Amino acid sequence: MDIESMNRYVSPINPAVFPHLTVVLLGIGIFFMAWFFVYEVTSTKFTRDLYKELSVSLVASVFMGFGVLFLLLWVGIFV
Amino acid sequence: MRGKVFYLFLVPFFVSVLCKVNQDTVDNNIVVTQVERKIDIASHLVKTYTSITIENKGSSTVRSVLFVVDPALKGKLSFIGAVTKDNKDDKLTVVPTTVKDHSDKEIYRVQLRSGLDAGKTVTVEVDAVYAHALTPYPAQITQAEKQYVVYEGNLYLYSPYKTLSQKTTVTAASTSLESYTKTKPVSVSENIITYGPFDEKAPFTEAPLRVHEENNSPFLTVSYLERLLEVSHWGNVAIEEHVDVTHTGATLKGPFSRFDYQRSQDGVSSIKSFKTSLPAAARDVYYRDEIGNISTSHMRELDDAVDIELRPRFPLFGGWKTRYFLGYNVPSYEYLFNKGDNYALKIRFVDHVYDDMVIDEAVVRVILPEGAKNIEVRTPYAVKREEDELHYTYLDTTGRPVIVLRKENLVESHIQEFEVHYTFQRLMLFQEPFLVVGAFYLLFVAVIIYVRLDFSITKDEAKESRMRVASLVEEVQSTQDRRSALYQSYDDAINRFKTSKDVNAFVASRKKVDADYRSLTSQIQSLQQQMKAEGSDIAEKVSELQRLDSQYKDQITLAITMAEKLVSGKVNRQQYLDSETSINSKREDIYQKMEALRATL
Repeated sequence: MDIESMNRYVSPINPAVFPHLTVVLLGIGIFFMAWFFVYEVTSTKFTRDLYKELSVSLVASVFMGFGVLFLLLWVGIFV
Repeated sequence: MRGKVFYLFLVPFFVSVLCKVNQDTVDNNIVVTQVERKIDIASHLVKTYTSITIENKGSSTVRSVLFVVDPALKGKLSFIGAVTKDNKDDKLTVVPTTVKDHSDKEIYRVQLRSGLDAGKTVTVEVDAVYAHALTPYPAQITQAEKQYVVYEGNLYLYSPYKTLSQKTTVTAASTSLESYTKTKPVSVSENIITYGPFDEKAPFTEAPLRVHEENNSPFLTVSYLERLLEVSHWGNVAIEEHVDVTHTGATLKGPFSRFDYQRSQDGVSSIKSFKTSLPAAARDVYYRDEIGNISTSHMRELDDAVDIELRPRFPLFGGWKTRYFLGYNVPSYEYLFNKGDNYALKIRFVDHVYDDMVIDEAVVRVILPEGAKNIEVRTPYAVKREEDELHYTYLDTTGRPVIVLRKENLVESHIQEFEVHYTFQRLMLFQEPFLVVGAFYLLFVAVIIYVRLDFSITKDEAKESRMRVASLVEEVQSTQDRRSALYQSYDDAINRFKTSKDVNAFVASRKKVDADYRSLTSQIQSLQQQMKAEGSDIAEKVSELQRLDSQYKDQITLAITMAEKLVSGKVNRQQYLDSETSINSKREDIYQKMEALRATL
């Protein structure tokens, strides 16, 4: 395929919004992570609820994961 | 597509094999009527411009002409390009070739755009650049001395055809000429030496041309350039160049005095600094070497380029060398193109390092994103493609494919774009974030497992019991909260009933709330039983709570009875209001007690 028939590649996320995405996603992620860890250390083996732990940690890891990725991109580590 | 792949294989083939196979013959019907040669030896490169007017004296059409490199410059040619005088934008194809009985010569075939018919003439302009063609003489100089170089070439065009008339001009670096060949007719004005016009010369006529000039221009040679192009589909192309530079002029004899260098501004042929032009979109530029950042550099952002003045850690004298890294980022939309899953990177093979640069060897590594397949390279000139490599960096699993391209002897004319075509699934882009997500989740799951592990060697019954009671208390509290919310549901149902007077609806909604209430109450009851079993005194408090609740519930039942009476007309409005006030005050009182009790659990 010739280059003339192609379009300029536009990245899925505009690099200008990397800082905002990082702050928002990491903010939410840290909140859920804090909730998870506080829950882990305050609950006893009689009060623990596995579903709650798994679901809170899933939400935390999704937000932390994307947040960390955009943090890397923001600081110039283009993965 | 297939044809292009084939062509790609052909390009390196051309250089290595085809130049031996490519056979041409000297067409004796071609006569060169006029030659104008300009030899520029003002920099450390020898740049020749040769305008050759050709006449076809034969009867058949001529399709190509041959250009033979001067014997003195053989093996030093870096770049050759040709155009015709009437159309300077359209470059002619120039390929290396051989001629029978002239196997010792370096010959290029210039393909004419349209054939040259019998009796017609055409003017071909050949531009050639030679590197390392100027010899320093003397080969060693002290710091204070100036640099002199010798150019040795052919006085006439080294032509395979008969030449009728020719003229040669040599542009020297300065007016200070030590010596030059004085074959007449010759004239000198300032720094330009003009030879000719000469009359008819036979093919392959040679005569020495030697110019010994003062040339203090920077004899800077990039002995090895490694260019890394890292493509990220998140919107960036990171470029890093590892540059080994050497001063290839007259070597320094004797000591180097920094004091003299600063004071008398000598060392005219040494290199203090040089300028590199980067693309206008370049960001985050860095200039460093093995021991870190080199602070002596200046960057200027112009409209069409970013100029960087690089000053090595020490001035470069003849024979001295240094090595540095220069890196920057450019946005991907300037260089990356796509259609569906087909991507193409179009970027310069080498970029500007300094004016009149010469690169002895260049290695270009293109690091494509992980998952790039069907890689195909298209270059404007022949380059050697080496075996692909893998590169591992942040968030990589299988490694990124790296294309390695190598070319020797490059000059400024080689700053041309090449293309790398590949296919890439867009979803692969999200492999990286999910890798991080997975890592975090793994950590959390490890924590979940860790808190469930019990490493104690004795079982502390008292502590166990306390924890169990604490968990029961927590449950009682949350159940009590839900029960309190149900009280409100009763009130809502009563109020609705008073306005709508619909007995059936009231009974239905009451039934529902009653069922919920009963289940919660029995739940607390069973929790209380468990607490009792643990032998906790909190069980007493819970039974007190249950007692208060049943009182509260009695008041609600009373309120319901009164409401039913009001609706059926058994009591009048005033009576109802009186009883409601007393019920409410009692309810409020009990509620306060329950809340206080709940808080002390």
